[in-house]
Amino acid sequence: MNRLNRKKILITGASQGLGRQLALDFAREGAAALALCARHSQALDKVRDEVMVVAPDIKVVLIEADLSRPLDIERLFAIALHEFHGRLDVLVNNASMLGPSPMPYLLDYPLAEFQAVLNANLIGPFLAIRKALPAMIEHGGSIINVTSDAGIVGYAGWGAYGISKFGLEGMSQTWAAELEESKVRVNWVDPGSMNTAMHRAAEPDEDPSQWADPAEVTEVFIYLASDESEGVTARRFQAQEFTPRAGRMPKH
Amino acid sequence: MSTLFELELPPELSAKEPLERRGLLRDQVRLLVVSRWTGKVIHSHFVRLSDFLARGDLLVFNSSRTLPASLTGWIGSDDFRVEVRLAEHLSDDAWLALLLFRAGDRSQTRLRPGLIIDFGQGLQAQVEGSDSTNRRLWKIRFSKCGTELLDLIYRLGQPIRYEYAAAPWDIDCYQNVYSTEPGSAEMPSAGRAFTWKTLLQLQRHGVRIATLTLHTGLSSYMDDELDREHPASEEEYFISQETAEQIRDAHQTGRRVIAVGTTVVRALESAAERSGFVEPGHRYTRLTINAGYPLRVTNGLLTGLHEPAASHLDLLSAFIPAEKLRKAYEEAVRKRYLWHEFGDLNLVV
Repeated sequence: MNRLNRKKILITGASQGLGRQLALDFAREGAAALALCARHSQALDKVRDEVMVVAPDIKVVLIEADLSRPLDIERLFAIALHEFHGRLDVLVNNASMLGPSPMPYLLDYPLAEFQAVLNANLIGPFLAIRKALPAMIEHGGSIINVTSDAGIVGYAGWGAYGISKFGLEGMSQTWAAELEESKVRVNWVDPGSMNTAMHRAAEPDEDPSQWADPAEVTEVFIYLASDESEGVTARRFQAQEFTPRAGRMPKH
Repeated sequence: MSTLFELELPPELSAKEPLERRGLLRDQVRLLVVSRWTGKVIHSHFVRLSDFLARGDLLVFNSSRTLPASLTGWIGSDDFRVEVRLAEHLSDDAWLALLLFRAGDRSQTRLRPGLIIDFGQGLQAQVEGSDSTNRRLWKIRFSKCGTELLDLIYRLGQPIRYEYAAAPWDIDCYQNVYSTEPGSAEMPSAGRAFTWKTLLQLQRHGVRIATLTLHTGLSSYMDDELDREHPASEEEYFISQETAEQIRDAHQTGRRVIAVGTTVVRALESAAERSGFVEPGHRYTRLTINAGYPLRVTNGLLTGLHEPAASHLDLLSAFIPAEKLRKAYEEAVRKRYLWHEFGDLNLVV
């Protein structure tokens, strides 16, 4: 229950779906402090109340920010690092936007929407990592980027979203390479199909009950956020195929 | 207090823009290296910094993050506009601030305790009185505090910019790449040229790195006469146990402690005033360092180039005799080095 003892964690897109579930499960695992970020603060208030029920002693900071706006990202990290006294252990880049639903083909994709998706899903995490690093570089840290199957396979109709995730996966590799000598780890996780508002919007004709509940996919995130994954970096994980044993690096 | 030496600084030597806005990198500034002992000057480039550092040298950085400390507010029903520059967060949660009115505006004379400044978005501040030590500063208290206030400062504020800035550069230009906790009125700019690449290369070269936090106050009170007096300001700083130990270890093993910025010198020397050793903790300092001050902790300094009237230059004279510094500065002017936060750097070792 205390796998995340004393960890200070920032989760983007924490008001619903996977982000909300991660907040709850990280709190259950003994995290010391959570900075939860989303575009609308009302939904965050509810998540905080739920977190406080499972972990009454945890520190929770709510920050309303739009990750497609660089000034919001500066404000987000200024507040989080003020509250966390300059130190951050884990960053989960979970926030992302789907774009128009139903999703248009690339040929029909409105330019402004295409740019907005890339801003939120690719430039946002890029800037967030830059601003998280100073708070991680001395003591080490874990960066977890949430990707998708659409980030390794170009599915017709998944437009800007899939392309942004291809970008995110490439960027994760580059960050991991640049940070190889440091104690900061960068990994990326495909949570698989989940019954969330975003996935229902992506595939409105499908039956959502066939998809996983977000609560079923958080084990790999807990593993990556904890010290159990020390030394694990530059790897792609599939949440629904993850077992703690498979994740561990062989001991030398 | 008199000026250390006179120096004609042509206006074109003020750096007007950050290098990264010209398609270059932050670390592509020049480096003027001056020997503390001989006064010998070497002209180099910042990317070659490691040439002048030895394996085991400890570089100490100030990781304070710059606030967008300039807020626009309105006073009273006449809607007098005032620029509020936050100077210092006081321990009783009030702030000291510089209140600037438009030229010719007589509102300055009407400033009095009890006035309310309205910033919009539900944020107000009450003027509590003028500061007892600095005649240009006022004590104000905001209607919000903590995270809520910080959030609004970021939503409403702009970085403090001076007249030589060619454009209203955004806050990222006034942020060091390694900054963490917010609290500085102005950027601790000696570290601006560091890129992650330089930091990693220095570590590979065997240079050690430590951080502390000192939240800087204002470098100018927009009053030439007062600025020349260098009124002693109070600044909040924090030094961790880990950093204190790294410094002690460097001293015990005969290695140099090099401050990145005058703020780091001030914090380290303040923390060592009582016992001669750097004591960790969270304190406020009013220490003034000038020629003849016996430096107990710092052996070298990386800093920007300062105006002759600036108090930073007094601090430099604790490292190097004024006459040697004057010669180095004259050479920097001849060689067209650039001054101020976006400018070139000076290593004194």
